[in-house]
Amino acid sequence: MKQIAIVEDEAAIRENYMDVLKKHGYKVQGYADRQQAQQAFDIKLPDLAIIDIGLGHEIDGGFALCQSLRALSPTVPIIFLTARDSDFDTVCGLRMGADDYLTKDISLPHLMARIAALFRRSELMSAPATEETLLHRGALTIDQNKMQIFWQDQHIDLTVTEFWMVYALAKRPGHVRSRQDLMEDAHVVVDDSTITSHIKRIRKKFAQHDAGFDHIHTVYGMGYRWGA
Amino acid sequence: MGRLIARLNAGLRVKIVIIASLLLTLPWFGYRFVLEIEKLLRQGQEQTLIGTARAIATALNERPALFSQQASFLPSVQHGRDLYVYDLPGSITIDGHLTDWPEDLDAKMHYYGRQYVRFSQRPYQQGQTDFYLITGRHQQQFYAAMKVKDQHTVLRRSNSHQVDRNDHLILALTTPQGEFQRYLIALEEGGQTSAWIITDELDEPNLFSPTNLMTAQWQPRQDGYSLEISMPVSLLGQRLSVSVYDVNHDTHRDVETIIGTANANTASDLGTVLLPSPEIERIVKGMGHSSSRIWVLDRHQRVLAQSGDIQHSDGVWATSVRYDEEDHGLGSWLDQHLLRPLYSTFLLSEPVPFQDKPANPALITGVNVDQALQGRGYAHWRASTDGKAMILSAAYPIWLNDKVMGAVVAEESTQGVQTLKNRALEQLFNVLLAIIIIAAIILFLFASSLSGRIRRLRDQAEQSIDAQGRIREAITASTSKDEVGDLSRSLANMVSRLGQYNHYLENLSSRLSHELRTPVAVVRSSLDNLSMSTLNPEEQRYIERAQEGIRRLSTILSSMTEATRIEQSLQGADMEEFTLNELISGCMQGYQFAFTDQHFQVQVPKSPVRITGAPDFLAQLLDKLIANAVEFSHPNSQIEVTLSQTDKHATLTVSNQGPLLPDDMADQLLHSMVSVRSQAHQDKPHLGLGLYISRLIVDYHAGQIAIRNRHDCLGVTVAVTLPLRTATNT
Repeated sequence: MKQIAIVEDEAAIRENYMDVLKKHGYKVQGYADRQQAQQAFDIKLPDLAIIDIGLGHEIDGGFALCQSLRALSPTVPIIFLTARDSDFDTVCGLRMGADDYLTKDISLPHLMARIAALFRRSELMSAPATEETLLHRGALTIDQNKMQIFWQDQHIDLTVTEFWMVYALAKRPGHVRSRQDLMEDAHVVVDDSTITSHIKRIRKKFAQHDAGFDHIHTVYGMGYRWGA
Repeated sequence: MGRLIARLNAGLRVKIVIIASLLLTLPWFGYRFVLEIEKLLRQGQEQTLIGTARAIATALNERPALFSQQASFLPSVQHGRDLYVYDLPGSITIDGHLTDWPEDLDAKMHYYGRQYVRFSQRPYQQGQTDFYLITGRHQQQFYAAMKVKDQHTVLRRSNSHQVDRNDHLILALTTPQGEFQRYLIALEEGGQTSAWIITDELDEPNLFSPTNLMTAQWQPRQDGYSLEISMPVSLLGQRLSVSVYDVNHDTHRDVETIIGTANANTASDLGTVLLPSPEIERIVKGMGHSSSRIWVLDRHQRVLAQSGDIQHSDGVWATSVRYDEEDHGLGSWLDQHLLRPLYSTFLLSEPVPFQDKPANPALITGVNVDQALQGRGYAHWRASTDGKAMILSAAYPIWLNDKVMGAVVAEESTQGVQTLKNRALEQLFNVLLAIIIIAAIILFLFASSLSGRIRRLRDQAEQSIDAQGRIREAITASTSKDEVGDLSRSLANMVSRLGQYNHYLENLSSRLSHELRTPVAVVRSSLDNLSMSTLNPEEQRYIERAQEGIRRLSTILSSMTEATRIEQSLQGADMEEFTLNELISGCMQGYQFAFTDQHFQVQVPKSPVRITGAPDFLAQLLDKLIANAVEFSHPNSQIEVTLSQTDKHATLTVSNQGPLLPDDMADQLLHSMVSVRSQAHQDKPHLGLGLYISRLIVDYHAGQIAIRNRHDCLGVTVAVTLPLRTATNT
């Protein structure tokens, strides 16, 4: 049974999340602050951690927890689930090694899907890729099962949200995907500018491996499309 | 005063300069001070001069030989009878012409008329016979000059033994030894005279014996004759009288009228003659080297001796001023050619040449003389006779046996003090002028810098807040420690606090959304949990409604943070150069797809409008403008989008037909969370952030956005002006 740790100072939310996770068959531990969680993680690592950024008095307690958890294990999936949705926090959270960054207005089914996706990814990471799960678009290869993306056979380290966006664009090259489409594909509820900044970050990640990368086109007033 | 100046609408600089002009009162105070000093100097001069007079008087005290026994002991002298011997500047040529006497001869001559008639055959008539007389001395020679009125000059016949049967004069005198002596001078042909000593009784025959001790010459005049007489001083004692014997008939030659200064018959009846003793002369001459004019008077105020010239007697003061020394240099040139003439024109009275001749040189009068003759030293100021200068006159008594025998009068002009005062004033004015000029310049510079700083501060204050009340730029706090610096710091502080408050207000929506997100999450997760449990359809319906509500709430919360997010992401946005035409055309196509019911009319220039900016954000700006325009459009009306280019700017207008803007709302619409949507438009959540986000994007591009009613009053136009080349945002 997968063990999930929820670090959340708001008792009602924590209980709700724990309930729903338990219903879905996970083993769940809830922690109200960083110290409790820290002690627990030192004894035993969870299979997945859901962390709020603001923890009690500590405004950035979640970030610190994420860092120490990442130090304990480089592979354990970490999800930030927080009320803070500024660009800065998102970038910060993802840089600290979180696998996903979700805002609290996500619905529980979406949360469950994200958790499942992360588990799937970590489980399938080692399994060999079968041909049919691979999607080839020129230099782009998408492994749907492992939720991994390769550009020119190099692994691009994308978050789950970013993965879904690239997947949605690349699935039908040349078709314009509006920001609303991308939002739905990535199961996020954010505003247009967040989508814009996500796209920007995805371009940067590709550009780190290939300076001449220019396959995500902006179609002004409509959205984005994957160009060949 | 301040209010008065303020009413004059003067700047700070002018005010300070006006107040500083109080400095100009300094010269007045200086002037008063110098006047006080002058007063002191004058008092000093008075004391010095009294000292001088006293010193001389002391030298003359208790020396009876100095004073004529006869005159000096008389209770009073009678002018005319008692003769005064003037000191003559040069010797006189005895020729009967009075031209070589001093010019003021007429003033000095004494008139002898009716009062002096000693004998007359017929009643004396005014103007019949009279004469003017003056006596003088030069060195060891005694002179007399006369103007005699005589209707008919009767001359001594040549070779006649008679000397008194014609017009003649009798000089009666006492010798220095006290003997009574009489001389007769008879008029002869050709201006010649003959002098005789009257040796015995008048009626004896061998009465006259000729003498050459005395010389005389006469010249005829219109109504008589003029006569000059000369004799050695050694002949003359202390008494003298001169009588004119007038004969008018050639034939009987009787003396008709005798006019004389005194009765010539006995020694005791003679008038006195004042012949200063050589000793006094010597003593006074010794004093003559002092820089004063000095008179020695007898007790009848008659001048015994005189020394010095008032023109040169400016006291010892003048010598202490060395203003004739001239430096060479700009300062001295300025002083000589500019300042001194200026001062003497407007401020100072330079000493001017003056005349001071007593009306009667033989008789010195004045309060001081009176006082001195009463036995008290005294000094007083008087104007010179021509009134051009002030003269200080001090007198001191000369004592002989507890009796005042005379007085010493010392006189000095105030020229020295005046010169001293003038130089002092000049120096003072020079220094004050320099001080005032320097002070004025310094004050002017100070005021300029002060007003400059204040003006800068005002400009900063005005620029720091834009028309919408947003902080445009912070005020740079001044580092200076004075009040203006304080003010600057206070303003900077104020603006920064205002900025913080503005920031707080602008971030309020994002904070609020952040704070609301947690309770929303509680509700949402609870609802989700609920919906997962098996419920009957009725309950499921309510759950779904609640979930729908929560979804809407989430959307609102997202859009509330949108503006903040835009601001943040604008900071990381990259500028690039691109063609604005393509962006607008592309977007407009998209909008045509998105809003199929709406008709768009697009006008873009054919030539590409190259602009430096962030295309994503400009597209987003257009999104907001179009969304806004569509929302407020009447159905089936057109939305006009035009792009135009000027030299340095691109202007984008989005114009719709629809309800007009309320008055005074235009600028406010660009603020966060301001909306004019009517209730009818409230079918989906709106926070009035569209135009605010537009403004953020336009501000980021250093452009301007304005929202106005259309000129044809059919709707509203939003105009965005963007510079073609934006300064790279750092």
